[in-house]
Amino acid sequence: MNSIIITRAGTHSTIQDFGRFQYQHLGVSPSGAMDQRIIIELQKIIPNHQNQFIEFAYVGPSIKVKEGSVKICVGGNCNMSIQKNNNSQLECQPYKSINLFEGDELIIHNTIDSVYGYIAFEHGLGLEPCLNSYSTDTKAGIGSINRLLNNEDIFHISKDVSSWDLISIPKPDLEKVTNFKVYPGPQLQYFSDNTLQSFISGVFTITNQSDRMGIRLKGESLISSKSHDILSEGILPGSIQVPSDGQPIVLMRDIPCTGGYPKIAILNEVDISRISQLPPETKITFDLQTIY
Amino acid sequence: MYFKGINSYGDRGLVLDFGNETSKSISQEVNEAFLNISNLNLPSLNIIPSFNKIVVIFENSKIRDQNKDKISMKMKDTNSQNNKKITKTWEIPACYNEDFALDMKIIQKLHQITKEEVINLHSSVRYYTYYIGFMPGFPYLGDVPYQLITPRLATPRVKIPARSIGIAKNHTCIYPKVSPGGWNIIGQIPFDIFDLQRSYPSLFLPGDEVKFYSVSLSEFQKIRKYNFSLNELIKEYSS
Repeated sequence: MNSIIITRAGTHSTIQDFGRFQYQHLGVSPSGAMDQRIIIELQKIIPNHQNQFIEFAYVGPSIKVKEGSVKICVGGNCNMSIQKNNNSQLECQPYKSINLFEGDELIIHNTIDSVYGYIAFEHGLGLEPCLNSYSTDTKAGIGSINRLLNNEDIFHISKDVSSWDLISIPKPDLEKVTNFKVYPGPQLQYFSDNTLQSFISGVFTITNQSDRMGIRLKGESLISSKSHDILSEGILPGSIQVPSDGQPIVLMRDIPCTGGYPKIAILNEVDISRISQLPPETKITFDLQTIY
Repeated sequence: MYFKGINSYGDRGLVLDFGNETSKSISQEVNEAFLNISNLNLPSLNIIPSFNKIVVIFENSKIRDQNKDKISMKMKDTNSQNNKKITKTWEIPACYNEDFALDMKIIQKLHQITKEEVINLHSSVRYYTYYIGFMPGFPYLGDVPYQLITPRLATPRVKIPARSIGIAKNHTCIYPKVSPGGWNIIGQIPFDIFDLQRSYPSLFLPGDEVKFYSVSLSEFQKIRKYNFSLNELIKEYSS
């Protein structure tokens, strides 16, 4: 038996995978990794990850091997180091597999010029799926672990490391994008041509009131010419909704399942991952695609 | 037939449009279409019915475009098929005791009626489950008798107890678990309606009919103590 213990949970660490689908009609949000590009990359290094990734934001977790040994890999742009059993410190890099032995501690200090990072574990973390997914929605209390990770959480990995060979991939080119192509939202016609012009030509700032549910933007007010209150309807991540204060919110992975605000536009799937990595105060612009 | 057509929702979604009104007959058509589309077993990620829309989400635009015609054809075909009725009719025990009926006085005062009249009115109607949303397993039921139509609380409550029955506008609901919320709370039911331990987590499905009947506090406590399985609940409280 191999086991690891969370020695410092960080502030936003959760278990995530590619998302929980087929349950949104029962009020269950899709959730899943905010930046899906990274867990796609990690699959190349740890193919047998069992869809049980740890997601962290800003401050990373520290993880110590309690028993046995584990093979892991970190994805994202972050500072990290390994505190070896014998007190020596080892440098380590994202996108390179890491073998950790009893007493070794991986310390992820922080993400750099980005928000989210991920850890993949060979053979997973010994978790049971919840509604066919390992993802966590802390607000709804749904997930294999239905809350943020805590200090002292222990995971048992029954299978032993398959090979000590070190595997690495070139650091993926996850370019920072601040201009987003968007498609018309279902309530585009709720906004006048002038307001649409403000949406396209305006600069919006990501505020610190942003989380797994949504990214709140600050910019020129986008007031609807019809109403900011629509009959609730199904929504999907990437939708840009505009409540009555005119400040748009980009809905992210833990979306409410139905929403009652008009949606001016929607991002494509890969841009949801891209925008999730932009820290507060980043300035962004939108480019509305008319043909799709 | 309220169905108006199918529109794109971004690069990977579709919206089936049933107009801008809301009524039980519109929702019946929406929920029937929801079942028909579900039964197509398309490679969709989610199919989400609401009052007058169905949103269908795919992994990408290619898969969406490959499947749009199948949905269109099914929607044109709806009249010719015999839909097996799989929705249920529920008779749900409700305790309107003052310990649970946190906002009973608001409704009494607004409509100038007695507590007994509120209970009789609320438990007199067979409600239609418009859809499930807001939080896991939360049913939007309606319509409440016009004498009970009440706006949301001016200041939402921070913590509504699990299993509480609420009224807001012309809808009634049950909170599956503890939650903030703005509905007027008039009672509580004695068992969970959303439980991840069950083979199917949500007791109600869109299209189900739900009627409440008033039980005493002691009867409520008796049912509460008994830990029903999903099958027992279905057998005991639905037809």
